[in-house]
Amino acid sequence: MSRKRFHGLKRVKVRMTWNKYNLYNLSRLRPRFSFGTFFQQKWAAKSASRAYHGEQIREKQWQRMFTSKLDAVIPMDYKYLAQHDGSELAAGRGSGLEQKRYDPNDPQMKEPRKKFKIPYMAQTFAPIERRLDVAVFRALFASSARQARQFVTHGSVKVNGQKMPYPGYLLNPGDMFQVEPERVLFATGQTKTAEQVKKGREKRKVQREVNARRHEKRIEARAQALKNAAAKIAAQKKEALAPTPRPILSEPMGDVEARKQRRSDLQALVTQVKALMENTKSPPSAKKKQELRKFTKDVRQTMASVNRKPIDDLDGDLAKLVDRLTLTTGKSLPAAKTLQPPTKTETAPASQSSSVVTTVSNAAKQRARKALQESRQNIIDESKPYATPWRPRPYMSAFAFVPRYLEVNHKICSAVYLRHPVAKAGLSEVPSPFAPDTLQLAFNWYLRRR
Amino acid sequence: MPPSLACSSSTLSCAKQLCKATASSTSSRSFSTTPRTQQRTTRARRALYRWLATVGDNFRNPLPGSTNYLGAYNAQGKLKRVVEAEYKKANDKKMDKGNRDIPKDPSEALPPESARDRTPFPISRSFISQSVLSEEFRDEIWFRIMKQGKSVREVSVDMGVEMSRVGAVVRLKEVELEWKRIGKPLATPYAKAVMSMLPKTGFAEDAASERSLPERKLFSKPKRLMSDEERKKLRAANREQRAIEARGIEGRNFARHESINDLPVHSKTGQQIFHPTSESRQFTRADAAKVFDERLLPADDRIPHPEMVVRQRELVEGLSDEERMEKAQLRAAKAESKRLAEVAKQVAKDSKTKRVETPRWEFRFTEANVEDAGKTGRGHKGVGWRYGVPLYDRNKGLVKIPQSVE
Repeated sequence: MSRKRFHGLKRVKVRMTWNKYNLYNLSRLRPRFSFGTFFQQKWAAKSASRAYHGEQIREKQWQRMFTSKLDAVIPMDYKYLAQHDGSELAAGRGSGLEQKRYDPNDPQMKEPRKKFKIPYMAQTFAPIERRLDVAVFRALFASSARQARQFVTHGSVKVNGQKMPYPGYLLNPGDMFQVEPERVLFATGQTKTAEQVKKGREKRKVQREVNARRHEKRIEARAQALKNAAAKIAAQKKEALAPTPRPILSEPMGDVEARKQRRSDLQALVTQVKALMENTKSPPSAKKKQELRKFTKDVRQTMASVNRKPIDDLDGDLAKLVDRLTLTTGKSLPAAKTLQPPTKTETAPASQSSSVVTTVSNAAKQRARKALQESRQNIIDESKPYATPWRPRPYMSAFAFVPRYLEVNHKICSAVYLRHPVAKAGLSEVPSPFAPDTLQLAFNWYLRRR
Repeated sequence: MPPSLACSSSTLSCAKQLCKATASSTSSRSFSTTPRTQQRTTRARRALYRWLATVGDNFRNPLPGSTNYLGAYNAQGKLKRVVEAEYKKANDKKMDKGNRDIPKDPSEALPPESARDRTPFPISRSFISQSVLSEEFRDEIWFRIMKQGKSVREVSVDMGVEMSRVGAVVRLKEVELEWKRIGKPLATPYAKAVMSMLPKTGFAEDAASERSLPERKLFSKPKRLMSDEERKKLRAANREQRAIEARGIEGRNFARHESINDLPVHSKTGQQIFHPTSESRQFTRADAAKVFDERLLPADDRIPHPEMVVRQRELVEGLSDEERMEKAQLRAAKAESKRLAEVAKQVAKDSKTKRVETPRWEFRFTEANVEDAGKTGRGHKGVGWRYGVPLYDRNKGLVKIPQSVE
């Protein structure tokens, strides 16, 4: 038997995908199962609804998941609960005081609220929404339930920070699931053209070669270093038969942490200085640069002796260095500040229009900066598996909804499964493309033998 | 099916067919006279392409500034709400003065969308794409919890967001901040695109006064040292704020995201019970709950925020501010002691388990007693595999994958 079409135009099945065929089929879907016998109606209904709800799950598996208990909630008004204790419902002749009938001609009467029924039957397939693969699809991290399933089995999905390779994992309320952003961008972004694919392949090839070369070089360097170290040790052995024990060995183990701390402090100093040197907006003067360079050198020297010197000495050195840095920056910074105000006073009285121009240019600059930032976040990179800069795939907006039982943060491609989906008056939280009658028929189908 | 060889039509169409036959030299079936592309296009396929070119074209790209669902369009592929607005406008014009052509203004914004326009599945009206929290709203929740140190319960009541959602928002935001700290790239363009397609609950602008609360000022400038006077002022302001909250829950006006007092329908309440009782009896909710099940609590205690009912009841009873404050403090103390007891219990339990961390597993050892298996060796407290006691963990139909992740 040949495999049946997933998105057929003739044998119409609505699926959990963002496919355009699926969208077309959805637009054609009509609530019609009122033909044939009751059994035939049920069969047709369950066949149509199961093609959408958990099509990837075996029928037996679903039958085990199915439950006739359907969750629903009723929003309560705390003010009403505070004012009434419930006995008012038994007042009068036993079923509450009689209300006046609504008269549309009476301007004093309020129009009664429209009463909606709880769509219990829409909850038929609620257990499927608990599955990890379906939740990943519902959180808009994959373009189809099948793709979501693949993400899970391929190990791109974590639950509470742990890799979870089982698509059938049933999420518990409070579980957080994360999908690798690269996979999400691939799933929801536009696909590459053939030309882009070719370019990407070439780029990746070049990168691979560069990486291989770098790796070789690194291995060589490591071998050389090992050789040098061995030669050094041999020379030391020859020179002195009784070498003096190194202070590092004699130090107690508790010191290691402290030394690490000092090292990281020194590293922080180096990075601070580096930031000062590389500041393009207000570049340091030549003299200051010299000072800073010397300072960095000294810091490096101290870093080299971190494991040898006693800790008290180290602390002294550190304090001295910090003092020196504050002095050098403190000396030069006020000078820069004292330089600035006169220039401002010179420009300010010249003309008011110039200040306006500067503000305008500032706004423009800000806009330009923002645009630059955005483009930096969404760069052109041919090596990615999706078209860059990233754009949403076509027909995505027609399927973009997040049910209330999930709380999603799309920036980090993570979501929390808050609770099981519930039905409310006139509202269902289980996204289903079928009419309530269809779902009721399907519910009845699975009720058999129970 | 290849076309019949006998050509019954006029010579013109025959010539056409001949042309086709010569053009289809690339076809895999040498005997077929129709080109491959035409062989494949069925009527259904043509209908699909027709639809994609007309109505379906609306869905190709997101609609700027609005959601873009199937339910919002009519059969002609026009936004229902736009059509309605135009119809209404035309009607109004007619009522005013004669029939006139209405000049269309393309720059005009779309009319606001209704629940109907948020149905992604046209025939399932009960599913509506409900709004999600906007970026600012989530930031505000995070700020109140993490910076102002408010409780989840308080923030839930203040902002009309479920407690579980408040917790989730903060948790996700913390992960986001951690990613920013370690320099892990965020999926910002994706998030932006998705948020533009979804309906959102914006953070109410009238809550801007909230933004100028003294606490916020304090946290925005943490380095500045406060004088005693300032501290006093801040404390007074905070006290005032709390008093407002104690007086009435809806002290401030927020855009509410969802109903926070949802009562889950209990399965025991599904049956209809005929319960005779005396006419003079005050038959309350609590009594009704008892009739359904001995252990079923009344709705007042089963909703997520029973404290709102209690506070409102006190207000209705006309208690003074001091009395209510006192009662609230008592309740808070009770809740705190309960929480402490739970923590102590957990600590005691943890102290009994020995944890051994390995790269792959965390082993947890607890003391076990051989005697627990009992005389027959089949006691339910017994540990490990015992002879003659069946283990069902590999049976068919049992769940063999993890059922929870801590």
